[in-house]
Amino acid sequence: MPGEGGSDAGLPGRHLNHRRNVSVLARSVGNAFRNKVRTAAVVAVLAVAIGLALAMLVANQAVGAKVQELNASVGTVLTVNPAGGQGFEGGGEPLTTGLAATAAAVPNVSAVVGTSSLRLRNATEAAAQTGTGGQGPGGQGGPGGQAAATLTTSLTAAVDAGTLGNRNQQANGTTGSTGSTTTQPMRSLPITATGIGAEVDTTGKALTITEGAGLGDYTAESTNALLGTTLAEKNNLTVGSTFTINDQTYTVSGLFDAGTTFGNNAVYLTLPAAQALAGLPDELSSMIVTVNSLDNVASAKTALQDALGTDKADVTQGQNLETAVSSLGSVKNISFIAFVAALGTAGLIILLIMVMLVRERRREIGVLKAIGAPNRTIGLQFVLEALVLAALGSTAGAIIAAFASSGIASALISTNSTGTTTATTAGRGMPGGVPGGGAGFPGGGAGFPGGNPFGGASQLLTSVTASASPGVIAAGIAAVFGVAIIGALVPALLTARIRPIEVLRGE
Amino acid sequence: MIEVKNLVRTFNSGDRTIKPVNDVSFVLEQGTLASIVGKSGSGKSTLLSLLGALDKPTSGDVAVNGVSLAGMPDAKLTEYRRRDIGFVFQQFNLIPNLSAVDNVMLPMEFAGMRKAARRQRAKDLLEQVQLVQDKHDRRTNRLSGGEQQRVAIARALANEPKLILADEPTGNLDEQTGDHIISLLSALSRDHNTTILVVTHDRALANKTDRRFRLQQGKLTEDQAHHRTPLPVTA
Repeated sequence: MPGEGGSDAGLPGRHLNHRRNVSVLARSVGNAFRNKVRTAAVVAVLAVAIGLALAMLVANQAVGAKVQELNASVGTVLTVNPAGGQGFEGGGEPLTTGLAATAAAVPNVSAVVGTSSLRLRNATEAAAQTGTGGQGPGGQGGPGGQAAATLTTSLTAAVDAGTLGNRNQQANGTTGSTGSTTTQPMRSLPITATGIGAEVDTTGKALTITEGAGLGDYTAESTNALLGTTLAEKNNLTVGSTFTINDQTYTVSGLFDAGTTFGNNAVYLTLPAAQALAGLPDELSSMIVTVNSLDNVASAKTALQDALGTDKADVTQGQNLETAVSSLGSVKNISFIAFVAALGTAGLIILLIMVMLVRERRREIGVLKAIGAPNRTIGLQFVLEALVLAALGSTAGAIIAAFASSGIASALISTNSTGTTTATTAGRGMPGGVPGGGAGFPGGGAGFPGGNPFGGASQLLTSVTASASPGVIAAGIAAVFGVAIIGALVPALLTARIRPIEVLRGE
Repeated sequence: MIEVKNLVRTFNSGDRTIKPVNDVSFVLEQGTLASIVGKSGSGKSTLLSLLGALDKPTSGDVAVNGVSLAGMPDAKLTEYRRRDIGFVFQQFNLIPNLSAVDNVMLPMEFAGMRKAARRQRAKDLLEQVQLVQDKHDRRTNRLSGGEQQRVAIARALANEPKLILADEPTGNLDEQTGDHIISLLSALSRDHNTTILVVTHDRALANKTDRRFRLQQGKLTEDQAHHRTPLPVTA
């Protein structure tokens, strides 16, 4: 053997392999750029596949985190409404504090929060309508209605009636309690006032107080109130300002942000205060029941329904949330399948390219074998060459993913939330606009709107943030490299089958 | 020393059995420059492949310095090719996107030599085969045929093999370049005590070798009249 001074004599095998591998790597990088046009084309195709795979992984992770967050925050909440009634519609008998005590005794129930919902009308507008004659309100509700008398307030709704509100007024006006079919004067929307037994919204989610403080003891009658940010702004109110409901003065102790225009056109009072205003101290519009663990939700729901009786209460697991989580779950599944498919495509591209390269370089492989290259060195050379292509594709793909992840996630979510939003809207009860004519509520159900007026499924869905975090991108690229190695192994193993004599026989 | 004993290689072609190498036996002393002549398809390249362990014989054996190739596992055969054999092909078979130096360095890389040492040796070998220095780092696909064949010879010498097998080494070269290549092989055989076996059509080339064999229908015969004792190894 030559060059004993710089030779391998006495060197352990791993040192020899290391020297070979360094040279093989250099050769592999060189080979990857042997045909620059083809390399550019391969990298471009790989970049699209890898970019798509990474974008799908980012979307998958973002949706997964959102589902986890939703489950952690409100996934253990059950909502109880009067049987036959939801929101300000329907019929049946109101819930009572006695039923709340029954609910609290159900196994695995950790908390029961009652709510009492009221609808407030602007006092000036109500007085003006009374003066017009024949258009007076017919009272709020029939059976199980919120209050026997109209509740008026000094507040003006922050939401304009708009086309939907006016349409609703007209639709309800023709069938209103007066029976009149004449065109009704335009009015602002009602304001929802909710008495709550704890600092949560009607879905059991903690209120987001942006200014001021909460109401303190939610189980005691108080003249403090929480206002939605837009309602406060519309009425030029800040923390410490006052307003009236049925001539009773209330002080704004804090402002909250529900995240939606509809949700922020609302007032929260303590539960006893709302019950006193309604003149129904023992009645509840709905109950928010918290179960001690996500695993016990299903059994607690059944037990709760049995305890309260199907003729008295409807127990639901936050339909909006269920639908939202289910929809997010679909997005998660779709994004995962798309990630695997895109990853598989990238692997297939690498496999086919490398098979093509091995076939194209059969002669060269034969020569390398003839001059003493071990099979593993040749195989390694092709695997490294594939990894060079994968690295280039991953770099370009990561850039594509960084820009496309958010758009792809949004597109996936909006596609999958269309049905959800429709279902959610249907469950919201009164979508807005006071019924015209006699201003009476069409139903007597005392419950709060079945849907969540402070943010529905669509809001939950659209609030998913798909950010291409380095960790997720690194995990995705690691997966790409794994697939690239698998894709390159097959052609690398093919090189071992090439016999130099078959290649060189063509001489 | 190369000992070939009753070497047979058969191929099946349809229902016919072809024997390009049929019971071939010979012995080559170390440092001999020998040639095998024969018509196209006479089995010259097949015999060369068997001697170089690129192919396995149907029967018979090749022994290099007493070590038999028969039954040697593939990994050992690869090592044998790397350590003991140097190939020179008619088509040169250099790696086109590598420089002349890099091509010559390849067998030394496979043998695990340090990069600096193999680079220096590659340059020395290229000078020895008289490839001008400014072409050492040029890609081999940008060299002329004669230059490429010199690089191929330098590559064959890289690991100081005991046996160089040259398959039509002047087949693609003009007469003058071919003569130079033969002189080079002859000098290598003499100076490095390397056994060189050249397969050729070229009778003039064959006449310059120490021993001349003829392969005809798979049978090898030696032109005894041409048998010369190799010159003593120079210091």
